[in-house]
Amino acid sequence: MSTTPDAQTTADRAAAADAVGAAIETDGLCKRFGERAAIDGVSLKVPRGVAFGFLGPNGAGKTTLIRMLLGLTRPSAGSMRLLGHALPGERALALARVGAIVEEPRFHMHLSGSENLRIVAAARGPEVRERIAPALERVGLAERADDKVKSYSLGMRQRLGVARCLLADPLLLILDEPTNGLDPGGMQEFRQMIRAMVEQEGRTVFISSHLLDEVEKVCDAAAIVDRGKVVSEGAIAELAGGDGVARELIVGVQDEALALSVLRASELVRAVSPSDDGLRVVLAGGAETTAALNASLVHAGVGVTRLEPVRVSLEDRFLEITSRLADVPEGEAAPR
Amino acid sequence: MNATVAAQMTGADFLKLRKRRGTVIWSLVLVTLPLIAFFIVRAVQHSSNPVEHPPAGGLDGYHDALRIVALFFGPLAAILIGVEGGTGDASAGVLRDLIATGRSRLALFATRVPAALALSWLVVGVSYGLLLVGTYAFASGAPTPGAALVFNGLGFSLLATGVICAIAVGFSSLLASRAAALTALIGWHLVASPVLVSISSLGTSRKLILSQAIAQFSPVHLGDRGSAVSMSHASAEIVMLVWIAVFVALGAWRMRTMDA
Repeated sequence: MSTTPDAQTTADRAAAADAVGAAIETDGLCKRFGERAAIDGVSLKVPRGVAFGFLGPNGAGKTTLIRMLLGLTRPSAGSMRLLGHALPGERALALARVGAIVEEPRFHMHLSGSENLRIVAAARGPEVRERIAPALERVGLAERADDKVKSYSLGMRQRLGVARCLLADPLLLILDEPTNGLDPGGMQEFRQMIRAMVEQEGRTVFISSHLLDEVEKVCDAAAIVDRGKVVSEGAIAELAGGDGVARELIVGVQDEALALSVLRASELVRAVSPSDDGLRVVLAGGAETTAALNASLVHAGVGVTRLEPVRVSLEDRFLEITSRLADVPEGEAAPR
Repeated sequence: MNATVAAQMTGADFLKLRKRRGTVIWSLVLVTLPLIAFFIVRAVQHSSNPVEHPPAGGLDGYHDALRIVALFFGPLAAILIGVEGGTGDASAGVLRDLIATGRSRLALFATRVPAALALSWLVVGVSYGLLLVGTYAFASGAPTPGAALVFNGLGFSLLATGVICAIAVGFSSLLASRAAALTALIGWHLVASPVLVSISSLGTSRKLILSQAIAQFSPVHLGDRGSAVSMSHASAEIVMLVWIAVFVALGAWRMRTMDA
């Protein structure tokens, strides 16, 4: 039987290695089911201390990647590291400080919440049992700890799943579609908990989701995945702004005809068209162009009443990327 | 995995099993109800015609009751418990969460066996206690088993149910399906194995049948239906160990290689 280093030894060795390396690092990771590639050469680096979104439509390969990271299924090719530890070689060390919820959290329904945590605590090591009560307290289930899980609502099971993650005192939490089935109140509560874990406790949270709004609200950075490939990666603001995607402004003016003629002649402007809100201007340059554009209008005698950037949401970017990808012929590289 | 963790994990597996109320109740029903019925029917027969029907208890009653517990209903209870132990995590969907702790899959498998054995033996122990009560309460002056036989009978009951239970854990882990494992194991125990034993043309090859190997350790005479072939204790031990090793190894292999 292979052994898992136990108790303090595991924690100490994990902590030593945890000081270096990204939270998650994959290189050329592939998972094939016959001819179909569920994950196709994914190279990903998730820095520490952030909430990182792994965003993609259903069937994009999000859960498959998570299952490989947790040793639930073997990769067909490529390498991966968690908290600086290579997988699968140092699996026990790598997972010692990782908490995870894969798909919906599942439990032994005939046992209570606290008994379910006892089972996982037994597998993690003798010192972990002391963390059961604080974990239940943290997720607000202390009063229902002795009730059978079959009497729990879906939201309570989600929270119990988080409590189970906390038993590892995790440096890294991997959450697969964590807000599935939660009501708006539950989702907000969940978001607050995730942000607190990142900002106050310095943990790294990796969230897989197809809910763009969720990722945009919770995460600092994200990778967009489609058909098993990472097609874009970066900070949320960068992703929403896009690389090479034109910036747009709504410009309110007193003399629309004069403004149109000035803007159409300007090198700062890629395109301009009237809209209900004012003139919709696509800038040729970055955000710094806005000031120059304003100056050129004022210089031409056009009164400017409004200059408002059009906010590009992650959803716009996501749809743009995934729809663009759908047009890429088989075998061609997707844009990054 | 050190001894403390192994003990904790076995305790956790035992907790899962003992709290599975349906399995525990059915196991107890299987090992107690037939025994109670046996003693009641024999006691009624004896009281109505003491000349033709011996006392329900005593040495005769003990022999028959031991067959019921060790060779028939005890193994059935062991199958129920072993299959629950082998498939409980997977059917509840928590196997992936246990694997994601970083604990080795083999360790997770290995602790299932002692936990299932512990519950099986607890259930069989209750049944054996009932057997002794019936044996002495309904003796009606007939000779009763001595301490050595009582001790050997308990050992035989634990051996018979323990072997079946370990095989059930391994086999059900291999199939990863409670229904399929229960059907196959109960079918083997109730139908296939007795049929094969009764085919005399199979000759000494029937020594390879598990029930025949187990029967060699019975402290009481089992008759042709219980023990159709004879073999040395060493041979019987080898046959039992091979059965256990094959199915436990297959269960461990499946646990190690399956996608969770």
